[in-house]
Amino acid sequence: MAGDSAIRPVTRFAVSRLNRGMAACMEGLELEGGGSLLGPLLDRLLTGFGPAPAESLLIMATTKGAIDNLERVTRGISIGPKDLQFGELILGVARRLGLADGGININAACVSSTMALARGAALIAHGRAETVVVCCFDMMSEFVFSGFSALQGISRGACRPFDRNRDGLTLGEGGAALLLVSEGRLRREGRSSLGTILGWGAANDATHITAPARDGSGLVQAVKQAMKTAGVDGGAFAAINAHGTGTVYNDLMELTAFRTLFGDHSIPIHTVKGAIGHTLGAAGGIETAVGLRSLAEGVIPPTVGFCNPEQGAEGLVSATPTVITGEALLTTNSGFGGVNAALVLGKGKTG
Amino acid sequence: MKALIHGIGWVASSGFGRGGDHSGFSLGHGALPRLRGRVIFAEPLKRFERLDDFSRLGFSGIALALRDAGLDQWRAKRNIGTIASTRYGCLTTDLAYFDTVIQDGGVFARPNLFAYTLSSCFLGEAAICFGLIGASFVINEYDSKRMGAIRYALDSLDWEECETIIAGFCDLPAPEQALEAEPVAPGTVFLVMGNGSDPSHPTRDIEVTMAADGAIIIGTMPVADWPELVQVYLAMRDSIISENMS
Repeated sequence: MAGDSAIRPVTRFAVSRLNRGMAACMEGLELEGGGSLLGPLLDRLLTGFGPAPAESLLIMATTKGAIDNLERVTRGISIGPKDLQFGELILGVARRLGLADGGININAACVSSTMALARGAALIAHGRAETVVVCCFDMMSEFVFSGFSALQGISRGACRPFDRNRDGLTLGEGGAALLLVSEGRLRREGRSSLGTILGWGAANDATHITAPARDGSGLVQAVKQAMKTAGVDGGAFAAINAHGTGTVYNDLMELTAFRTLFGDHSIPIHTVKGAIGHTLGAAGGIETAVGLRSLAEGVIPPTVGFCNPEQGAEGLVSATPTVITGEALLTTNSGFGGVNAALVLGKGKTG
Repeated sequence: MKALIHGIGWVASSGFGRGGDHSGFSLGHGALPRLRGRVIFAEPLKRFERLDDFSRLGFSGIALALRDAGLDQWRAKRNIGTIASTRYGCLTTDLAYFDTVIQDGGVFARPNLFAYTLSSCFLGEAAICFGLIGASFVINEYDSKRMGAIRYALDSLDWEECETIIAGFCDLPAPEQALEAEPVAPGTVFLVMGNGSDPSHPTRDIEVTMAADGAIIIGTMPVADWPELVQVYLAMRDSIISENMS
């Protein structure tokens, strides 16, 4: 809420030959005795989480997993074959959480964790499970940084979402672990919830591999599905937690999509990517956690980096915290391959 | 949960084919056939030749399946979803891409290769080519059978998230760096499934069911893995053709 930013100059690997150099890395994330940096990242994420019911299904969401293992092997450092595979990673997380279910990983670019939450919620809503653990994470890596830099997709400084002078995204890293529980189980156990996933939707633009459809058609469809599942209309939303990466095309697409969906209805829009960067597969999960807290507190955080509004963002996006009123919040994500996903979040219930 | 299989397509060591046009199916560890767009697609697709091997493989499987289902031609985009299971994902592409990064501090990193270092991107290529606007994602599992996509797809149909769905698996041979004691067989198989029946095409109405324990059943035959699934399905299809001819 203070408007702080975790975006700093990159020190994890050499960036001197690239023309970009900023990212949001977790402070003090270090390796002890080799292995992947994913180890300490998961330590921070999962220490204190749980216990989750042993019969919970596990849905993981990471786009590149322990990608630094691949970086090492390409440089001639020997590692085990399973260190490059998702299967072992899934099993490791399941064991760490004491879950009987082997689990799966959903890989859908930057909507991976949104999709994982949607799937988890659907499994519970349709009576296929009572509890689902969604565990999402991605690390800031030379692999991904070099790629977005080569695509000229990284901002020269810190990203400026929805700002008319924005010039790209800033990468970040992190994770979120959420335990989804059915209402029935909550009632039986007399427990309260932090929030509710009321609705979900996902759709593909079917237009371009790396750029969003300019008319936002895929995002519009995903949001409509989510609203239909939730049984709400646009008037229900206190705020929108947008994908808001800070790229020219994404932010423009989202403003277009929201205008198509909600017309002149002014719904405050914010994004956390100006503060913590784009956390890739973890984005949806982290942003859902932030969204639930925002709804509970009745205030959305400032959009860090936002200064001069892009046309269409005036009066909607703010560089200061904004008080919100309403029972629901919309959170959206989009990504490579034309993917889009949306969740409608509701307030928590007291057990 | 049940649905109807409208079509099937595959690329395996035995060659490539689809339900209505094939010379057998075998999922072995031999070399995969070379894939050319002019053979896989009804109309030439220049973009196909520029794709990485993993994307070309999965894209081919989907294209063959859609052609078998009579759904490869379209005018308006359609609410068709795509789900793929994979063991190794785009690891081969990842290794090739990072080779371009470690030279000279990343100056020569290839952006067009980086775009395909997400294993779900080939689903995006299929979506663009065939106008598929349903949800698309890849599943990684600990289990090496790669059947999870079928289960997730049947759920999606049951929950009416889409009217038709394409589900299957895609894997290149395991790269040397990820070679395990029992690598999975390379190749791709995709099914096109939906709830709508087409009496004029009885071979497109073979039932697939998911039992309460997650077991997959083709017609009345439980199948344990993809080779069994394809063999049972093709046998049923041949049986329907024979019945209609007699």
